[in-house]
Amino acid sequence: MTAAQLDKMRLELRRGVLVLAVLASLKQPHYGYSLRRQLQDRGIDIDEGTLYPLIRRLADQELLNSEWRQGEGRERRYYQLSDLGTELLGQLSDEWQQLNGALSNILGGAAEETD
Amino acid sequence: MDLVARYVAAVQRELPEAKRDEIGRELKANIMDKLDGMAEQHGSLTEADIAGVLKQMGRPRAVAQQFAPPQPLIRLSYMPLYQYTLFLVLGILFLLQVVETTINWVSSSDMGLVQYLFRLAAGFLDDVIFAFASITAAFWFMSRQPSAKPEDCTTDWHPEQLPKAGPSWQHISLQDTFTDLATYLFLLVVIWYPMWMSAEQLDSSRLLLTDHAYLWLKWASPLAVLGLALGIWQLQQRLWSRAMLISNLVLNCALTAVILGLAASGRLLQLDVERWHGVFELYQLERAAVTSLIIIAMFPLWEVGRDLLRLRKL
Repeated sequence: MTAAQLDKMRLELRRGVLVLAVLASLKQPHYGYSLRRQLQDRGIDIDEGTLYPLIRRLADQELLNSEWRQGEGRERRYYQLSDLGTELLGQLSDEWQQLNGALSNILGGAAEETD
Repeated sequence: MDLVARYVAAVQRELPEAKRDEIGRELKANIMDKLDGMAEQHGSLTEADIAGVLKQMGRPRAVAQQFAPPQPLIRLSYMPLYQYTLFLVLGILFLLQVVETTINWVSSSDMGLVQYLFRLAAGFLDDVIFAFASITAAFWFMSRQPSAKPEDCTTDWHPEQLPKAGPSWQHISLQDTFTDLATYLFLLVVIWYPMWMSAEQLDSSRLLLTDHAYLWLKWASPLAVLGLALGIWQLQQRLWSRAMLISNLVLNCALTAVILGLAASGRLLQLDVERWHGVFELYQLERAAVTSLIIIAMFPLWEVGRDLLRLRKL
């Protein structure tokens, strides 16, 4: 498999998970850069070109509330989970736990077969 | 900071007008935050550092497309219908163009074969441009309307109504059908159009065949009508059935017999021998015409063999 193919599949694998990570991180209000830093600190490195449009899309879908605030001599747009977003986060988290458990079994089974 | 302003302006130029201010404002805030973060770590930043950060963010057009992904001209779910409509309409326009150009050719005394082909191509191209633009515009308009439900999720279809799974050749291509239809229409126009011509027109027209060859073709013209009917049937069904294969087989057998019969029937051409004096001898042209007819007969004959094999497999 080429590096380009691997990159493409990694991107596909991460795409859905990133939404969950962003929603979960926005229980607290964040502006774009601070959210990126927080995700990075927790082990999810996401480039700006993906993160900022993603936040806007989630806000357009009314999953996030947003407001402009002044701070440190600059205006910033802060985002936080809306009620709809909170409800969706709960459902997606359950789905993720279920999927993660099933996938662990599959990957564990595959590893045993390989051994 | 001039670089940042230029970068944000370049991104904004690529965005829809309604989103420019909001996204530009937010993008600028995010870039400034990042530059501040870097300055805290590494001290004051040079123009080269800022240029490096902007370059890392990506080309302005690519960044703009992330924020506002470009909308395809035609919605993806409409693409198969769009292609089908385009093919069907262009096929019909080709048939009409064949009829129109052939009538002009037959009734004209100074239009050669090359000019006929050129007129056919030019006329068809005109039609194609108009049809392509109109159909694309109609589908573009449809694609702009909000869709109620994705087509994949609709339930108004029944698996029982799907055609039987068969070999891949069973699907009839539109291209093949329209080629057949155009051929039969061409033949009918060439055979029957002189009936409506005056004696003067007939004298100046390019009817090169002898009377008995022309009569032979007239008797064979019901086969062209049958071919047209079969073509329309194929357009409706789009799938070879046993009945359709047998009809095609019978038609092609008859066509082969007629063409070979015509080749063997005697003198075919009625030419102004004086005009061609020194260029061709009549017997050379006759021989060329007979050879051409034998080659032409090979096409329906090949289809006969093909359909026999298909009938055994179906």
